[in-house]
Amino acid sequence: MSASATIALLGQPNSGKSTLFNALTGLRQHVGNWPGKTVEKKEGSFSYGGNEYKVADLPGSYSLSANSDEEVITRDFIASGKADVVCILADSSQLQRSLFMLADYAGIDAPCFLLLNMADVASDQGKKIDASVIEKKLGIPVVPFSATDIKSYDTFYKTLEKVLSKNAKINVDDLAKQYESVKGYREICDLIPENTIEGYSPMWLAVKVLENDEVVLARLKNSLGADAFNKIEEARKNTNGAVATGGCKFKWIDDLLGGAVETKEKKVSLSRLDRIYTSKTWGKAAVILTVLLGLIASFIPALPLMGVGEAVLALKAPVMNGLASVGCPEFIILIAGDVIIQSFSYIFKMLGFVFGVTLVFGLLEEVGVMARISYVFDNTMGKLGLQGKSVMPFLISFGCTMGGAAGARVIDNWGQKVLTIALAWAVPCGAAWATIPMLSAIFFGPGAVGVIVAILLTMLVHMWITAKVFGGKLVKKEDRYGMIMELPPYHKPKWGALFRYVFGRTKETFVRVTKVILLVCGIFWLLSYSPSGNGGLLYRVGLAIEPVTKFFGMPWQLFLSYIASAVGKEGAVGVISALYSGGAYGTAFTQAMAGGADTSNLSSLLLANVTKPEALAFIFAMTFNMPCVVALAATFQETHSAKWTARIVIYYTVVSLILAFLAYHVGMLIW
Amino acid sequence: MSLSEVKENREALVSGINGDARFMSRITSIGLTPGCRVKVIKNDKNRPVLVYSRDTMIALNRNECKGITVEEVTA
Repeated sequence: MSASATIALLGQPNSGKSTLFNALTGLRQHVGNWPGKTVEKKEGSFSYGGNEYKVADLPGSYSLSANSDEEVITRDFIASGKADVVCILADSSQLQRSLFMLADYAGIDAPCFLLLNMADVASDQGKKIDASVIEKKLGIPVVPFSATDIKSYDTFYKTLEKVLSKNAKINVDDLAKQYESVKGYREICDLIPENTIEGYSPMWLAVKVLENDEVVLARLKNSLGADAFNKIEEARKNTNGAVATGGCKFKWIDDLLGGAVETKEKKVSLSRLDRIYTSKTWGKAAVILTVLLGLIASFIPALPLMGVGEAVLALKAPVMNGLASVGCPEFIILIAGDVIIQSFSYIFKMLGFVFGVTLVFGLLEEVGVMARISYVFDNTMGKLGLQGKSVMPFLISFGCTMGGAAGARVIDNWGQKVLTIALAWAVPCGAAWATIPMLSAIFFGPGAVGVIVAILLTMLVHMWITAKVFGGKLVKKEDRYGMIMELPPYHKPKWGALFRYVFGRTKETFVRVTKVILLVCGIFWLLSYSPSGNGGLLYRVGLAIEPVTKFFGMPWQLFLSYIASAVGKEGAVGVISALYSGGAYGTAFTQAMAGGADTSNLSSLLLANVTKPEALAFIFAMTFNMPCVVALAATFQETHSAKWTARIVIYYTVVSLILAFLAYHVGMLIW
Repeated sequence: MSLSEVKENREALVSGINGDARFMSRITSIGLTPGCRVKVIKNDKNRPVLVYSRDTMIALNRNECKGITVEEVTA
């Protein structure tokens, strides 16, 4: 392999950037963070013609302004020369608007070419685009492209090689002429010498000054000194900002497209599906139905991997017996069975979920449904500081919190994504919903309905308070702006690229999550292990601090079960049953998680040992505790932040204990 | 008048955009600039306004629409 070149992909949302990235890199991609930032960094590689290429999928939205970290990272990455070539994507079916990115880019000093994506959609709409006319005016290669057409990729690779050898750059003369008409432009431009900031032309910088770009202003102040900078400040007084420069950019685009595009007049109307989604009466119901159907559909692709999880679990007994028969020490046997095999069983079941949820909700995103979900819930979710899309992870979390966390990846703002996951933890998952009615029915009979209603109300208040607690830090006030977003036309999915993306993410989840789950399960097991089979550190601590836990309404048996519910809610009831019937804690838990716990005489056992207020306290503590170790791992995987994951865990532990305390004392008043 | 006052299925020309630098930059980057023609597709209370402009369906928060002044085009 010869020396590698780096290609940066730049384009507005819905320009098909991610699809191209997935198609180019396939499984050879990696998602990390930009150094020191909370912005996702997507990198990948591919080889063509014996050369190795690196691809960076640049984050960002509709322009290269300083509106977000994403946009600043993107433009600095390009200007720093880290990209050997920038591939700018535009949507052929909305060419005029989507070329704005190109106009905003013009003036950054890096070789580039323009990809007119979705050429197939444009031609279906009766648009004819003559790329050569645009190419002549721009001075860089302009390539019509369609992700579904294999021949397109050939042209893409050829163009790439050409640009790399020729260093093609945009001809900005006509754009500069447009800017001359803007008040203040000439003065400011004259005050900025060439190479003031590496990689940006004086024209580009002057325009950003007019647009009141704080990052550029700060850097100019730094490099020009106070005198020159004050003159710039003077010159930009009473100018029209982004409205004036934006007008120039669109005029330039109009000139660029003059003689290159033929369109048919078409009547604008909403499709039948959009009439339902945007309906005042049916919109919300339609969105909830869509997400629920998506959730159900995501179980279908999840099943094979979940089957693998079950198969791994089936190995546990034979492996443990096998190890015992060759005289292996008991400690090792237990680690192999209760920690390693058990953990991998979780991991594979979890991967099934991740796979299914990523596939189905990635599909909804790609065909354009996700944008409609955003639209419908923008107002409601906006009150929590979130995007409309956040409603989707919340709904998924009624089934499985981990699925909710995985679903949150369609939220493009990191802070909002973390906040969404933090709130999704408050939604009781399927396992909690299996336990709540059962325990409630044992203790409260028909009153169980009341408990369920109380849980739902608590959930809403919990989410609202949590949004206040974490919202200020995660979603800054100036970032809480209203929606300005395109509702893209519905697209046919690109199955190949979608599957590559889904496999890539699943593989990465597997690698990252395995460590977390092995670690947490290992520590948990060690704490509950004792050579005699009864005892263990957790058991002794539980006994010792019982006076304290009683304060929260939980005797030691319930408290240990509460701790177990943080690892997995499925196990909570099994642990209670084992502890009250005098079983060993560690084994009881792993057996309960594997579905083998004996709960036959549970109700008589519980009624004899647990009071009603204690039961109520436990139900609340268990429900609002950390969802499970797998959700923890998924949260870490999606947020890329150990710090925030830890914060959320601690917060939920504290809040669940407070809720237990409240429930216990309310219970004491009633009974 | 402001864009949020335009009735459904009516067209208008953008005459001015007012707001902070961030708003102006975001609104121009999605294609709304003075002089550009928009058609209001959907205008329900408590929902973003849906407008069609430059071949694109755009959802705009109601509050933010107040900063966009338009002149209605009488067809």
